[in-house]
Amino acid sequence: MTTRLLGAVIFVIAALFVSGATSYDAPFGDVLGPAVFPIIVGIPAMILSASLVVWPGGEVAWPRPERLARQGASLAVLLGYAWLLRPLGFPLATFLLLALLGIILDGPAWKSAAIAALIAPGLWALFDKGLGLPLDVLGTWF
Amino acid sequence: METLSALAGGFAVALTPLNLTLLLLGCFAGTLIGALPGLGPVNGVAILIPLTFAFGFDATSSLILLSAVYFGCMYGGRISSILLNIPGDEPAIMTTLDGFPMAQQGRAADALAISGVASFVGATVSVIGLTLFAPLLARAAIYFGPADYFALYVLAFATIGGIAGVDPRKTLLSAALGLMIACIGIDPITGIPRFTAGNYHIYDGVDPIVALVGLFAISEILVLLEKRGKERAATIRVQSWLPDFRAIWSTRGAMTRGSLVGFVAGVLPGAGASLGAVMSYAMEKQVSGGGGTFGTGDPRGVAAPEAGNNAASGGALIPMLSLGVPGSGTTAVMLAMLVSLNVQPGPLLFAQQPELVWGLVASLYLANIALLVLNLPLIGLFTRLMMVPTWALMPIVAAVSFVGVFSISNSIFDLELMIMFGALGYVLRKLGVSLVPLVLGLLLGGDMERNLRRAMSISDGDWGILLSSWISVVLYTFTALFLALSVWLAIRDQRRAKLFPENRTSK
Repeated sequence: MTTRLLGAVIFVIAALFVSGATSYDAPFGDVLGPAVFPIIVGIPAMILSASLVVWPGGEVAWPRPERLARQGASLAVLLGYAWLLRPLGFPLATFLLLALLGIILDGPAWKSAAIAALIAPGLWALFDKGLGLPLDVLGTWF
Repeated sequence: METLSALAGGFAVALTPLNLTLLLLGCFAGTLIGALPGLGPVNGVAILIPLTFAFGFDATSSLILLSAVYFGCMYGGRISSILLNIPGDEPAIMTTLDGFPMAQQGRAADALAISGVASFVGATVSVIGLTLFAPLLARAAIYFGPADYFALYVLAFATIGGIAGVDPRKTLLSAALGLMIACIGIDPITGIPRFTAGNYHIYDGVDPIVALVGLFAISEILVLLEKRGKERAATIRVQSWLPDFRAIWSTRGAMTRGSLVGFVAGVLPGAGASLGAVMSYAMEKQVSGGGGTFGTGDPRGVAAPEAGNNAASGGALIPMLSLGVPGSGTTAVMLAMLVSLNVQPGPLLFAQQPELVWGLVASLYLANIALLVLNLPLIGLFTRLMMVPTWALMPIVAAVSFVGVFSISNSIFDLELMIMFGALGYVLRKLGVSLVPLVLGLLLGGDMERNLRRAMSISDGDWGILLSSWISVVLYTFTALFLALSVWLAIRDQRRAKLFPENRTSK
């Protein structure tokens, strides 16, 4: 079922891709123009994904709901890190990332936090001081 | 003779203090990355690429560092195969078959030493092969016109998934998705923005490095989260690290045969290190028979696939450097690095930047020696580092990935894009779709389109040019034969699975 569903999703994306490509037109430039290659690529993608809808191969075993929730939580933490990296500054944001991801990965809470408290400033020192990649200590919120 | 003097020049490049230091660091880091479960050569190298940019080394030094990491991973992959029964990377799967039983029988030290020496033999054979054959292939490739390159790319996409085991439709779909993503951004010839939805962040296209780190490193976190901490495996404790040298000597035949088979598999497009290991193991089982001891801890069953996968990973560098078409996942990642450093692999690379090519080859010789020296006495250290629990390690990997990607562009959008690619990579992996063809499509898409358009400009719009030279006809014939073979194998496997449902392998 999953294979069928995802095949259908990819088919729709590929179809949109091809129909989008047909609208690209340049009166100048080369013989082939910007539209042909995306169409050449998109049509096989449509055919292949359609074939997965009709004859799905292989079974997909999704993880248990509790695990799926953890996966969702990890994505949320990663996105939160991306958004908070500038406002909070590198050490603080990284501390939160390391501690929360550690806990989501079944690490003991206080140990994860302790390791994060050690590693986050350590990474900052390594990258900013040691390797010369500029990373803000304090973010725009401070 | 010409090759020898070029190689001597290469050693002069490789032996500068900076490059030698990078080489040793890379070997150490690579072994560690290969040994840690959840980090393999592909995601290890992918995470390190943006950092190498940020340090501002030149192309040669960056390539030396990353190649040392790549070779180190191949050495390290066996450690977790033998001690944890978890392959540290895909090609190390075959090593678990006999390596883990050996460790269970208390012969872990022997298994580790044999695989270390076998890795050395395999890798050395492949570097010698690289020295001899890569310049020849590069010389032949000068005759390739744009239409021939287009045919070569078609062949590369058709074959990258390998022959057996996977649904060929999924591999091709993965390549098509990669090519579709490669179309995003401003068309370099006409300047028209394509598939950008007005978002100026992707006018430059999707940075392959951002996609790579997301697809491999971020999706790995999601894969690890499928199982609870306790369900992940525990290491076998080892008493002594001193190997039995007679046991190593007794596997010399298996090592030599494995190296040769692996090398050939590595050079072939699409086969790569995994197939090299599988073929070496299968052949060794045929040749030495072994009286049914294969699979129960036969030292030759450790030596052959290890020699094979290391030989194949060196062999895979040949098409990558001389044609610009990678033969395996990791070489695809290394191609990404070269392209990002503005180095265009291909026949001209040998003529225009000999110091880069030969510096790399020379450092591979040195890396092999360094790895053998590192691996035999330091094996105890690596196994202790392997005990670091996943919940402590993977968050750090995530943080380093973010720093790397952030340091290229300083753009939050790229971080979001990386996370999106992580989720996409996870879903595709669940579906049994290999990510390597996608990466290859993303990397080569631009060049493939440019060559097609150049060919069509030469012929003034006549599609016949695609079949006008014998090189492209040969390449398309190979492509067709390969696709026919893989479809036939897939159908045969499916029939067998229907007839004998209990023998179904989980794939």
